[in-house]
Amino acid sequence: MTFHEIIVTINQNQEKITVPSNMTLMRMLREVLALTGTKNGCSAGECGACTVLMNGEPVNSCMVLAVECDGAEIITVEGLASDKQLDPVQDSIIQTGGVQCGFCTPGILISSRALLNRNPDPSDAEIKEALVGNLCRCTGYTRIIDAIKEAAMRQKAKE
Amino acid sequence: MEKSLAQKVNSPVGENKLRIDAYEKVIGTAQYADDIQFGNKLLHARIKRSPYPHAKIKKIDVSKARILPGVKAVVCGEDFPGFIGLYLKDRQIFCRDRVRYVGDPIAGVAAISEEIAEKAIDLIEVEYEILEPVLDPEFGASSRAPLIHPDLGKYVVASFIFPQAGSNISNHFKIRKGNIESTWQKCKTIIERKYHIPHIQHVPLEPHVAIARVDKSGEVTLWDSSQSPFAQRDLIAEALGITQSKMRVIAPLVGGGFGSKAGVSMESLAVAIASKVKGYPVKLRLTREEEFYTAFVRQGLVAYFKMGCDENGKILAMENTFYWDGGAYTEYGVNITRAAGYSSTGPYEVPNVKADSYCVYTNHPVGGPMRGFGMPEMHAGLEQCIDELALEMGMDPVEFRQLNCLKEGSILPTGGKMHPTGLSQCLEKTAEAIDWGKKALPSAPNKRRGKGIALMWKAPAMPGNAGSSAFIELAEDGMLTLGVGCQEIGQGAFTVVAQMVAATFGVPYESVRLATPVDTRYSPYEWQTVASRITWSTGNAIIKAAQDARKQVINLIAEAWNENPDDLDIVNGNVISYKSEREIKVKDFAVKGLPKPDGRGWMGGPVIGRGSFMPTDVTGLDAETGQGEHAVVHFTTGAQAVDLEVDLDTGRVEILKAVAAFDVGKAINPDLVKAQIEGGMVQGISSALFESLMLKDGYVQNPSFVDYRIATSMDIPNSMQAIIVEVPQDDGPWGARGIGEHSMVPAIPAIANAIYDAIGIRFEGPPFTAEKIYLAMMEAGIIK
Amino acid sequence: MVKNTHPTLPEFDYVKPVTLFETSQFLFTHSNDSSPFLGGTDLFIRMRDGVIKPHYLVDIKHLAGMDKLDFDPQKGLTIGAAVNMNRVINSPDVQEHYPLLADACKSVASYQLRNRATIIGNICNASPAGDTIGACIALDGVLHIHGIAGSRFESLSDFFLGPGKTNLKPGDIVTAISFPLPPQGHASTYVKLGRNKLSDLSIVGVTVLGNIDTKKQSGFRFRVILASVAPVPLIVTQAETYLSSHEVNQETIHQAACIASEASHPINDVRGSARYRREMVRNLTENALIKVWKKLNQ
Repeated sequence: MTFHEIIVTINQNQEKITVPSNMTLMRMLREVLALTGTKNGCSAGECGACTVLMNGEPVNSCMVLAVECDGAEIITVEGLASDKQLDPVQDSIIQTGGVQCGFCTPGILISSRALLNRNPDPSDAEIKEALVGNLCRCTGYTRIIDAIKEAAMRQKAKE
Repeated sequence: MEKSLAQKVNSPVGENKLRIDAYEKVIGTAQYADDIQFGNKLLHARIKRSPYPHAKIKKIDVSKARILPGVKAVVCGEDFPGFIGLYLKDRQIFCRDRVRYVGDPIAGVAAISEEIAEKAIDLIEVEYEILEPVLDPEFGASSRAPLIHPDLGKYVVASFIFPQAGSNISNHFKIRKGNIESTWQKCKTIIERKYHIPHIQHVPLEPHVAIARVDKSGEVTLWDSSQSPFAQRDLIAEALGITQSKMRVIAPLVGGGFGSKAGVSMESLAVAIASKVKGYPVKLRLTREEEFYTAFVRQGLVAYFKMGCDENGKILAMENTFYWDGGAYTEYGVNITRAAGYSSTGPYEVPNVKADSYCVYTNHPVGGPMRGFGMPEMHAGLEQCIDELALEMGMDPVEFRQLNCLKEGSILPTGGKMHPTGLSQCLEKTAEAIDWGKKALPSAPNKRRGKGIALMWKAPAMPGNAGSSAFIELAEDGMLTLGVGCQEIGQGAFTVVAQMVAATFGVPYESVRLATPVDTRYSPYEWQTVASRITWSTGNAIIKAAQDARKQVINLIAEAWNENPDDLDIVNGNVISYKSEREIKVKDFAVKGLPKPDGRGWMGGPVIGRGSFMPTDVTGLDAETGQGEHAVVHFTTGAQAVDLEVDLDTGRVEILKAVAAFDVGKAINPDLVKAQIEGGMVQGISSALFESLMLKDGYVQNPSFVDYRIATSMDIPNSMQAIIVEVPQDDGPWGARGIGEHSMVPAIPAIANAIYDAIGIRFEGPPFTAEKIYLAMMEAGIIK
Repeated sequence: MVKNTHPTLPEFDYVKPVTLFETSQFLFTHSNDSSPFLGGTDLFIRMRDGVIKPHYLVDIKHLAGMDKLDFDPQKGLTIGAAVNMNRVINSPDVQEHYPLLADACKSVASYQLRNRATIIGNICNASPAGDTIGACIALDGVLHIHGIAGSRFESLSDFFLGPGKTNLKPGDIVTAISFPLPPQGHASTYVKLGRNKLSDLSIVGVTVLGNIDTKKQSGFRFRVILASVAPVPLIVTQAETYLSSHEVNQETIHQAACIASEASHPINDVRGSARYRREMVRNLTENALIKVWKKLNQ
C-alpha cells in the first residue's frame, strides 16, 4: 500500500502529514491529529456525525480520502469558535437545549454553520432539508432547528 | 418508607439551568470512549462471529491467525470457562460448544491494527454442525422446539425470575387475581386481539466501544461507553473469576444509550482478549453494522390480549399472554418479561386479571433493555384494544380511559394500591392540546385525517435493593465537588444532580462541579443508569450527602458563634445567621477549619458529606399469583396524542401534531424534562413508522442505516407539545420521579389509533410503513 | 447471508494520473484491479462491504475539463464529470434552462453527500435507483468518453446493461455529459418515493418531461423514465407513444400511468414489494404527468 505526503490546513493551522492511501479524512483527524471532536457514527456517509468543512463546504469526512485533502482547508468543530467567543450556532444550541448526548452535535454545528454561510435567513423547511444528513437520536431535532433560527437572528443583529 | 428531604429553599431546583456539559460538547472537547488517547501500546481487537443462527462448534483452528505478523493474541471460548449475566447467567464470554445467534462471538484477536486483526479473523477456521433454529417465540415455547439452552436448569438465576428447565422458557411471570373465568359472562363487550411487535434497535449515534487493559498484577481497567460501570465491574469480574475491586471501570460521556449500553454486552470480550496481552490496552469497537445486531436489540413480542367491560364501560377483566422473542441469551430480557407482566393491565384498574408473560429463547439477536423496558411493546397492542373496547361500547376513547384509568388508591394488578398520580390530568391536558373531539379537515382531497390517544405507565424495573450513593467535597475556591456513580447519556443527569446538590447544600448551580468521568475506583456506587431512576434514586442519595455536609458546616459555625444551629442557613455559599445576621463564606473554612474562639487550637476540618439511598420496602411478588404489597417503588404515568394524515396515493403517514403529558412529580429542570418528552416522542414515532430489524431465517436483512431507517429532521411532526404535570411523589426529591423512558412508550398505539380514526384499519403491528398502509387500503376497498 | 463490512476502507493504492491518456492507459492495463473514482460515494461503500476490492483507486477529478459547468446559448449545457451535485443545483443556467437536473439532484441523499456525489458517478454506478439518470435521459444527455482509442460520444439509450453494468470498456472514463438545448417551454418534474420524506434511496422514482411538439398527433411530446422498477432505468416508450398519439387529458394521463405501471417489472426487496412498487409507479406517474401538464398549460 502506498503512502502520500500531503499539506493540509486544519482550523487555520498548516500541517504536513504522511497518510496511507486508504486513510479517510475522518481517521486522519481522529487518529493522526487527535482532533477527536469529529465523530465516527457509521463510516458509511449516512449519519453525518463526521461532518467537517472542506474548502468551505460540508462533507462526510468518512467518505473523503485524506490524500484528497492535499492543499485543502478543513474546519472541524474545534475550529468553529474563535479565541474570544463561540460561533453563534454553538451559543444558540446551548441556549435552546439542542444538545443531549452530544455525539451528533459537532456534525450538526458544522452543517449549521455552512447553512448560515450560504443562506443567512433560512426558513424552517430549509433548515430541516439542510440537516437531513445529520441524524440525531436524542433531541427530536426541534430544539436544533430553533437554535439555527436563533443563531441566524444573532448574526443579523451583529450586522 | 422515608419521606423526601426537600428543602425550603428550592433554587435552582425547578429552574431551566443550562446543561452543565453543553459547553464541552459544542466545542468538541467532550470526551467519549473512542476519543481517549492510549499511545503506541494500543492494540485493536476484532471478533470472529457465528455465521449461523444455531449450530454446534465442532472445531476451532486459530493456528493460522496466531502466526500472522502483527497479531498479539487470539482467544476463544475454552480460554474462559465462566458464565455471565445480570439476572440469569446464561451467557459465555466466547461461545464454547454452541452458537446461538448470527453474530455470536466465537473468537477474538488483538493486533497492532484493526486491519491486521480483521485479516486474522478471516484466518480462523471453524467447523460447525448446523442445528435447527428457533425463529418464533410461540414455537420456541412449545414442546416441539429444539432446546437452545439444554442446561437452563443449572444456570444461576435471581430469586424473582422463574425459568422452566427443560424448555426454552427462561422466565414465566404470572398474575392470577380475582376470578377471570366467571367474569367473562358479566362483560357487555369483550375484545380479543393478537399483536406482533417486531425487533428494533436503539441506534445510539455512538456505537459500542470498549478498551481494556489487564496489568501484570491482574488488575483490570476497562474504559467504555457505558450506562452501568458498577454493574459491569460486578458481572465481568465474577465471570472472569476476579474480585470486584481488581476490576476498574472508567466510563466517560456516553453518545446515546437508550438501554443498549446497560449491563454487559460486548465489553467482556475486550477484557477477555486483553487478559492475554497483559499490559497492553486493547480497543474493541463495533461497526455500525455490528451495532445493529450483535450488542443488544429490543426483543420482539407476540401478544394476545383479551379484555372485557361491563355495560357502563368499566373494565372487569383482562387475560393477556405475552411471548417475548428474547433471543439467544435472556440474561437481561427475563426482567423485561417480568416488568411487562406486572404492568400487563396498562394503567387501569382491573379487578380480575390473568397474565402470563413468557421469556422465550430464540436464535435471534440478544434482546436487552431498551427505552421503556417492555412497555412500548406491550402498550402497542394494549392501548389499541382499549380504544376498540371504547368504540364498541359507543364511548369516546378519552372518556373510557378517564373512567378506567388509575387514580390514587386504585388497586394495582399486583394487589397493592396506586400512589397519588396525575394520570387523569395528563389525559385531560393531552386531549385538550390535540383538540380532541373536534374532527379536523384533511388538508387535501387525497388525504385522510385522524386523531389518536394512548396512555402509559412504567415503574423502574430493578431489584428491590438497587442502590445509589453520593459524596460532597468543598474546595478552597468555594466550588462544590459532587461525586456520583450515575452516567450522563444525554438525558441531563449530570445537570439535574448538580441542581439538586446546589439546592440542598446552598451554593449556586454554577459552583458545582462533578467528579467525573465515573470511575469505579473513586466514584460512589450506583446500581445502573437505567430505569429512569437517577433523578429519584441518586437524587435521594445526593440530598442525604448534602444534608450531611450541611450539618457539619452549620454545627461547626453554630459552635464557633455560639448560636443555635436552627438559626443558621447556607445561602449562595455563605453561612448566615437569621438571628445575629453574621455571615461567613463556606470556602473560608470548609477545607482548613476555623481557629477556636478562644484562640487555642482549631475546630472543624475538611468537610465531606456522604449519602446513600436504597429502596427498602419493595416486597416480592408471589410466584403463582404475582400478588404483593409493594411491587415497585413508583409508577410514572402519562399520555400521548397525535393528529395525522394518511396519503391515499402512497400510504404515507404524516404527523401534523404530537402532544404528550407526563406526571413527573416535580420537574427539577423543566426544559430538560420537555427535551426528554420531545426526544422520546420522536424516537417513538420513528419506531412506529419506520423501524424494524427484518429477520429472515435468523439473519437481520437490514443491518445498516441504508435500510434501517430512523427519523431524520424532515420526518418530525409539524408541531410538538410537551406538557408537564406535577403530582408529587412522596419519597422523591422535591417530589420527583423519572421521565427518560416514558415519552417513547405511547407513540405506537397513539399513532395506530389515529390511523384507525383516519382510515378505519388496524394492523397486526408496527411499523406502519407507507406500503403496509397502502396495500391494506387497497384490500379494504378504500382506494382502487 | 451475513454482511461482513470492514470497519474501515480496505487497503489500496491511490493513483492520480496527470493526463487523460495516462489515465486510460493505466485503467486498461489494470482493468481487473483498478477503479476510477470521483466522489467515491458509491465506490467506498462497495469496498467497505467487500463487494469489490480494487488494488488501485484512480482519482480522475482533476483531469482536464472535468470541472467545467458551461452553458452555451447556441449549443447547450456541458457538465464535467467532477462537478458535484450541489454545484449543478446552484447553477443559474441549470435552474433556468434545465431545472429537471436540479430537481433530480436535490432528491439525492444529503447536502454533505451532494458535495461529493456527481451526475457522472450516478450514471456510471448504473444503479436502477439512480436519481439523476432519468433526467439525463429525458434531456437527451450525451456522454463524453475517453478510452484507449481516444474520445467518443455515447447516448444513454444503450448505455445501461444491468444493475451496476454499463457499456464502458476497459480504459474508458466518462469526462463529461452534454445536453442539447432543451425543447422550448418544456416542463418537467422528478417524483421520488422513499421510506423517509427525504434522503432515502428511491422505492420508485418517476421522471417526466413534456413539451409542445406540433409534429406529434396529440401536439405534445412526453418522456417518461422510471427508477427502481427494472434492472436498468426504464424508459416507458409505450407511455410516451401513447401520449403523443392520444389527446392529452385527465383520462389519457391516467391510462399512460397504467401503461407505465404495466411496463415496470420491479422486484421484492428490503425497501418495498413488487406489488407496492407497481401501484406507486401508476400513482406517481399520474401525479407527475398532471403536474407537468398543468405547467404546460399555463
